[in-house]
Amino acid sequence: MALKVNDNGIDRNMTKAEEAAHLASLEQIQNEATAQAEAQAAKIAARQAVLDKLGLTADEATALFG
Amino acid sequence: MGANAQTSVPTFTAGEILTAANMNISARTGIPVFATTVTRDAAFGSTGQKTLAEGQFAYLEDSNTTQYYDGAAWQPVGATPGFVCVKAETSFSGVSSINVDNVFSATYTNYLLNVIYDGSGTADLTMRMRVGGVDTSTSTYNRQGIDANGATLTSFRTTSSSFTIGAGSTNGPSTSQVNFFMPFVVDQTTIQVYNFRSVSNGYIFFEAAQQTGATSFDGFSLIPASGTITGTYSVYGYSKTV
Repeated sequence: MALKVNDNGIDRNMTKAEEAAHLASLEQIQNEATAQAEAQAAKIAARQAVLDKLGLTADEATALFG
Repeated sequence: MGANAQTSVPTFTAGEILTAANMNISARTGIPVFATTVTRDAAFGSTGQKTLAEGQFAYLEDSNTTQYYDGAAWQPVGATPGFVCVKAETSFSGVSSINVDNVFSATYTNYLLNVIYDGSGTADLTMRMRVGGVDTSTSTYNRQGIDANGATLTSFRTTSSSFTIGAGSTNGPSTSQVNFFMPFVVDQTTIQVYNFRSVSNGYIFFEAAQQTGATSFDGFSLIPASGTITGTYSVYGYSKTV
């Protein structure tokens, strides 16, 4: 089934060229989102590692440092 | 008392002889209609024409506007709206992308976009600036954002090939409001996003971001990172005058 685009107010099927360009865009966007999520997860893990060394929970750290 | 001030609103009787003064009262009432400001200005002040004075009204056909003369200049009737709709509410259904062209111009510097949508999932809704019907898809979007999900607050800073203006909800429509600053100016375009989505009863997302190219954009595209979206959008220009 063809993907649909709303082109300035009109819902229509994408052309083959538009669909290929759209799928390429999605791959690019999803790769960026994955990289961002991994960076975020690494940041959280690093913070948790410090808290673990200090013997603090996340809530206790928030209470102390905001 | 100005030249247009009336002291009576006369009624003539059958058989009455009308003087030039009587006829002038009739001829000068009502709002005269002119094709343009040029023909309007040419219609007053010469021999045999009325003297332009405070209180004079005029209707202009080319702009479909009514004006009044304040004694020094012509002024529009009524207040200038702060927001002017440049793209009426537009519906979309089950689409993978949305193209919005020719909404930015030199008429306004800043714009507001409202989007209400249901996603087929909870994927991010991304946005790219656009000119001449072509997306700018290079990695030129510098983004700083904040997510508030329950008591958890997280932030991010990244550069990517699109803005993110929200994501799909699981419990009702997602709503995004996007302020565009200078999209049509040949300079960096800045946006500020506020998004609410009903995930676990509430999730707020803010993003302030810039597209770093010195480009004059005339539109934008909306692209869910996966799946489809259904909803409406509308675009408004911020008035530059009071």
